[in-house]
Amino acid sequence: MFGWEFPPHISGGLGTACYGLTKGLALNGVDVTFVMPHASGDEDEHYVKIRNASDVEIDTSSVTYREHIFPGVSYIQVNSRLVPYVGLEGYYNVIDQMSSGTLEQEFTGSRRKHTFSSGYGKNLMQEVNLYAQVAAEIAKSEEFDLIHAHDWLTYRAGIAAKRVSGKPLVVHIHATEYDRSGEHNRNDIVYGMEREGMMAADAVCAVSDLTRNIVIEKYGIPAHKVFTLHNAVVPTDKKVEREKNVDEKIVTFLGRVTFQKGPDYFVETAKRVLDKDPNVRFVLAGDGDMMQHVIERVAELGISDRFHFTGFLRGADIDKMFGMSDVYVMPSISEPFGISPLEAMRAKVPVVISKQSGVAEVLQHAIKVDFWDIDATADAIYGLLHYPALSKLFADKGEEEVNNLKWENVAKKLKVIYEKTLHYE
Amino acid sequence: MNRICFHFQISQPFRLRTYRFFDINQNHDYFDDYQNHYLAQRLAERCYLPANKMMLELIRKHPKSFKLSFSIAGSSIMLFKNYCPEVIESFKELIATGCVEITGNTFTHSIASLHGKDAFLEQVHLQEKLLKETFGVKPVSFCNTEVIYSDEIGEWLGEAGYEVVLTEGARHILGWKSPQYLYCNPYQTDVRLLLRSYRLCDDVTLRFNDHSWDQYPLTAEKYIKFLDSTNTSGDAPFINLYWDYETIGEHYTADTGIFDFFRNLIDQLSANPNYSFITPKEVLKMDDNPATMHAPWPISCSGEEKDTNEWVGNVLQQEAFNQLFKLEPLYKKSKNKEAKLSWLRLQGADHFNFMSSKWFGHRFVKRNFEVYPSPYQAFINYMNVLNDIKIQLEKK
Repeated sequence: MFGWEFPPHISGGLGTACYGLTKGLALNGVDVTFVMPHASGDEDEHYVKIRNASDVEIDTSSVTYREHIFPGVSYIQVNSRLVPYVGLEGYYNVIDQMSSGTLEQEFTGSRRKHTFSSGYGKNLMQEVNLYAQVAAEIAKSEEFDLIHAHDWLTYRAGIAAKRVSGKPLVVHIHATEYDRSGEHNRNDIVYGMEREGMMAADAVCAVSDLTRNIVIEKYGIPAHKVFTLHNAVVPTDKKVEREKNVDEKIVTFLGRVTFQKGPDYFVETAKRVLDKDPNVRFVLAGDGDMMQHVIERVAELGISDRFHFTGFLRGADIDKMFGMSDVYVMPSISEPFGISPLEAMRAKVPVVISKQSGVAEVLQHAIKVDFWDIDATADAIYGLLHYPALSKLFADKGEEEVNNLKWENVAKKLKVIYEKTLHYE
Repeated sequence: MNRICFHFQISQPFRLRTYRFFDINQNHDYFDDYQNHYLAQRLAERCYLPANKMMLELIRKHPKSFKLSFSIAGSSIMLFKNYCPEVIESFKELIATGCVEITGNTFTHSIASLHGKDAFLEQVHLQEKLLKETFGVKPVSFCNTEVIYSDEIGEWLGEAGYEVVLTEGARHILGWKSPQYLYCNPYQTDVRLLLRSYRLCDDVTLRFNDHSWDQYPLTAEKYIKFLDSTNTSGDAPFINLYWDYETIGEHYTADTGIFDFFRNLIDQLSANPNYSFITPKEVLKMDDNPATMHAPWPISCSGEEKDTNEWVGNVLQQEAFNQLFKLEPLYKKSKNKEAKLSWLRLQGADHFNFMSSKWFGHRFVKRNFEVYPSPYQAFINYMNVLNDIKIQLEKK
């Protein structure tokens, strides 16, 4: 499996998904060799050469680290600058930052800082192809039945491994270029690589029906080999404490402040609610390229006294934020899945989510609205704040529902897809 | 001899429009006139008018033999008056034959009987007034919303002058007893109970068009065999069959053969010497000595459980229900006619049905028209309206 991130360095949805899926597969009796690029600054200490790689004729950037994590799963790190979650533009940003010596990665969940000793960026294509070469070498030396590649940057690696081994390839779509950049700003290089991967694959997994439809319609992939595989939640024992230091109710938006996440709809909604009930505070937690626009709009609407910006939150602060929140809103315009409402629900916060999110397909105990329907969103928020029976039911049922979304079950479905795929071969 | 009682229930609620919280205290226009108009007309065309026509023909074809009864919720009568008065006329024609009994029921398809005597009897009396005005009839039998009944409700009805009550032959209440006998209220023995044979009703309501049912297709001949088989010993004299009238033509559209099924069934039963049709009030002329039936908790025709969870089962429904009836004192004091009427309409069972979380699971009772995307949205909308009504009732 070509994936991203592994404990303890998990920073977002993709890493969580890879981890959950791997663990779930192990529980379902599927052995996994997990291969991932490792762009952490501490590679000098941890990286060692693959012992049996004497026949691998690649330069030192392919040094890898191998470890057994839990039964059935072994783990190979490849030294590469590939980082998850980015489109082409994002990648060059990352490279620029690498050149200046530090890299700040922002995800929905938290922010990570990497320090790089090597001071210059490389061409993305080179990096992807290099990774594919390493993948081919790994494919030669490893025993496996099937290849599974997550997100577009590893598709070439998957294809290379398939070519070398003749084993079937499954690609996993966590987001498409359409989600990242919208309909009209599609980057053709990224689109091309995504499509290349999907075409070469024997099966394509999409994180929602929404994404599956995009794969079929926009990428022209035959429907019969595209499967929906919803994400789940990694169980945790941590309890979020409900603690609040203001009297007013708090409504929270948490996520990147980018076009895709619909923060401007959150602002307009806030205005609607505040017109009727001034005893509410709105919090926008996150940062992104729409920040300035959002701040200006808040000022223009004259609701600055009730609308707060926290900037980027991480780890414990996120829990604290959930602990204070009475409603969580996710007005995303396009969200392949969207894991954060699940985290809110686990913290007993009722959620209002856009119908244009994959997570809406698996949740019953959430209010679902169209992202553009500001009136409906405002009404849902008002209802949750003013009708205690409703929020109480949500808090109880929501937590229960989230805890029932298990990776083990997702992996069971994946295993069936694997079996189907192997049968075709 | 088997006495067979056909009873049809008619109700559609006044549907709420999408009422946002910022409408509260701004606008008191709660009901979706367009939908209400559309649905009333659609039902009139598909069901009420053609079905009434069929019933009238059958009454004329089988004089003194075929009889039936109806309960028509006040909210429906008002919809007909507004949007399709020809339905009212066709009911008048039916009543004029003398073979049709109109029973009492609630004014707005209300579930007030689950709250208390005052609110319930208010509904009952308003409905009596409307029936008097519209059809010139005074009912002596009663069929509550969704045939909800308990010992207490039976007593209230007795006090209000009703002598026959139609309700469910709920197995958990009856135990080994059969619904095919006449029963009475244990505290008001003058109140007789006619119990619905729900399995026989469900054969039509749930299974008429079910291709996977081993008895499909259901014909009149087959159905009469079912009726025969319920009374092999010959001493279980009552077969009470209550249906939603919308079963004919709406739940099952004309092309399923539902009209022909009822036409044939009534033709054959009328000609069959083993069966005679009765309407509920006719049991008063019979000498049967009814046994008592205890219903300490409310029963209804809902699902397999025959309880009231469909309307007040989850916390949302209970909250809405409690908040609604908290306004009863305001209703009594207020002079705002519109707000008072709206409050009555909000008691309609359908509003609560939309908040049911049975929605999440398998739907047993076929719902006519989905209105809300989830019970949560149904609840929010309802509470917004209720909040405005409260403000209007409070105003001097």
